[in-house]
Amino acid sequence: MNEHSGPDPEQPGMDPSIWRGLSMPRMSRRQILKSAGTGAGAVGIGAFLAACGVSGTKVTGGKVSKTGVGSASWWKKQPVTKTVNFANWPYYIDVVSGKHLTLDHFTSQTGIAVNYTEPINNNLPFYAKIRPSLEAKQPTGYDIIVMTNNSPPLGYLINFGWLVPLDQSMMVNFDKYAGPLIKNPSWDPGNKFTMAWQSGWTAIGYNSSVIKNPGDSVGILFDKKYAGRVGMMSDPQELGSLGLLAIGVEPATSTESDWAKAAKKLQQQKNDGIVRSYYDQSYIDHLKNGDIVVSQAWSGDIFQADLNSKYRDLKLLIPVEGGMFWTDNMCIPQGAANPKAAMMLMDYFYQPGIQAVVEYYNDYVCPVPAAKQELLNPTGWTATALKQMKPEIGLPPSVTANAPTVFPTPEYIKNSRNYYQYKSQEELNAWNNLFLPIIQGA
Amino acid sequence: MEQPVLADHPGRVGSRRPRARFGKALAPYLLSLPAGLWLLILFLIPLVVMLSLSLQTCNNATGACVMTWHWGEFWQQLSLYHGQFLNSFYYAGAATIIDLLISFPIAYWIAFYGGNKKNFFLLMLLVPFFVSFIIRTVVWQFILSDQGIILGGLKNAHLLPQSFHVLATGYAVVAGLAYNYLPFTALPLYVAIERIDRRILDAAYDLYATKRDAFLRIILPLTVPGLFAAFLLTFIPQLGDYVNQQVLGGTSNTMIGTVIQNAFLVNLDYAGGSALSAILLAIALIGIFAYSRLLGSRAIEDFL
Repeated sequence: MNEHSGPDPEQPGMDPSIWRGLSMPRMSRRQILKSAGTGAGAVGIGAFLAACGVSGTKVTGGKVSKTGVGSASWWKKQPVTKTVNFANWPYYIDVVSGKHLTLDHFTSQTGIAVNYTEPINNNLPFYAKIRPSLEAKQPTGYDIIVMTNNSPPLGYLINFGWLVPLDQSMMVNFDKYAGPLIKNPSWDPGNKFTMAWQSGWTAIGYNSSVIKNPGDSVGILFDKKYAGRVGMMSDPQELGSLGLLAIGVEPATSTESDWAKAAKKLQQQKNDGIVRSYYDQSYIDHLKNGDIVVSQAWSGDIFQADLNSKYRDLKLLIPVEGGMFWTDNMCIPQGAANPKAAMMLMDYFYQPGIQAVVEYYNDYVCPVPAAKQELLNPTGWTATALKQMKPEIGLPPSVTANAPTVFPTPEYIKNSRNYYQYKSQEELNAWNNLFLPIIQGA
Repeated sequence: MEQPVLADHPGRVGSRRPRARFGKALAPYLLSLPAGLWLLILFLIPLVVMLSLSLQTCNNATGACVMTWHWGEFWQQLSLYHGQFLNSFYYAGAATIIDLLISFPIAYWIAFYGGNKKNFFLLMLLVPFFVSFIIRTVVWQFILSDQGIILGGLKNAHLLPQSFHVLATGYAVVAGLAYNYLPFTALPLYVAIERIDRRILDAAYDLYATKRDAFLRIILPLTVPGLFAAFLLTFIPQLGDYVNQQVLGGTSNTMIGTVIQNAFLVNLDYAGGSALSAILLAIALIGIFAYSRLLGSRAIEDFL
């Protein structure tokens, strides 16, 4: 196994899913990853040994001290440095001929160079990599990291006081333009530690040329009519949440006995031969080539597939039971060398004109509703950037602007559901012990 | 005049002799020190860490693992994943038998009819293995895919139903395992067959043994230790293999290696992963022990 998550020269052309196992939505970005063999965010033996001997970390509950790191007086003392290290997920920011226009624009405006890397493939393994540094009060080497709210590490980072509380006075664009879905969110009240990068739904994708009448319920995934042609996700969090929706329970407020019932329902679905396979991001390829006709799906993927006239039949269904809504959050890890530059960069992305460019590439749920107008009627730098990107994207920006999966309608928002937040390690183990055996079936 | 005085110095002579004897006694240990250190650092220490981890309770928020002597972990993991253990045994067992059946004729032929080109044939056997393990396995995925060069053609010729598939079945996993571990079977077998004294065979023919008799009563018994060495070298690594299963297998034929890999690298469940590894290790050790009792440990040494 490879310790770093970059392309591994030993494994060209390899489906990254092999290593990644339980993967996250962003990885399917335009299927480029298909060709970029990627080592999973493996835990090195060093991290592993360090993990054995550590006796525990004090939970601070995410409180900010009056004069400590992240206080107003601390922020005042921070200089504006000339560089910022941004760690994100792969294929999650605008790219034109290998360049990130938004980042270049930021550098030209502020003189701050952005060292943009894509080391995050999966929340837990990435967390395991930076944890020893955080624990030892050493810099992680990153000024901005992006963590998903549906996975435990974000909560861990907040609870252990391993995130620098944001300088609320520097969140000018955020305060002005951030959308209601990600402003003051339940996982970080008051946006004390995080600002959203992008969001998305885990819902249902189906092939409308085969399924003429999909109905409006998750029941379609359990329909014997499509036995052997149904895809489910191999992430226990995603699979379990769908199971809970199917038995009519809100995942966010579910109990352990609900989980057992959901697991039973999913086991039954598997025993009945309905599930073809438990997929990571590769579900979208199987949906495209017809191996499966309906599957758990990430909103951005279906939108992406739709851009190609060949796959116009693929449709997204957000069931009445709800679509699982997740958000990837930018945050500043403790020990960051360039916190002020990080704040500036994070807030920079909340300008509608900047976000429009990111969104034109990304097609996940936009954190800035005003970016829609910029996509429809771009001005200044945004217009130039969009024009530059158009040959590579293909469709005009208005398609992105009018997509309900990018700028959600009230109906989409109403059907959004939150993930269960584990309160303890025991809960997480209980969840995994119920759903992992279904995925890793014998 | 000075030199003899020094040489006859009682203290010096007295101290040199025991030191020399001491060094002689230590020599074998000193000589085996590199190997010993190797074993200690790369085998024993990780083994102890793994065994102790399997009894600890870990928190993947803090990464803290506390020794709780939680023996229940073994039973819990076993009850969750016994099916995957069984899968590993079925697949590794089937693949090993296939390997033995394929490589015996190959090894036999090279040893007896290879002539002065033996080394060339052995090299040919190994050439595919100059390519990375992963790539070779992924290529099998390509070859066996539903609409691939083999199945696609057969389906287009209406020799197979459209729904027929090999990938995502246990057969594909067994095929991948058998392919990837073939040299581990062929080479020990070759060594065993090659060292058979031809004069014994000549003697057998002089005594009117048929070719069949000579094979069954001379060649086969003499290669049994090689067969078992080949079995061990193939079966044990296959037992823990997870790449073939992940590339070629489907949802209902997970092998235990995959579960262990996910436990460590994806779910950060160090205790669970360690417990599963410990169980696998225990099973493998029991197998080796039983084998060495059956055939004597010399047989292993000869061929490993």
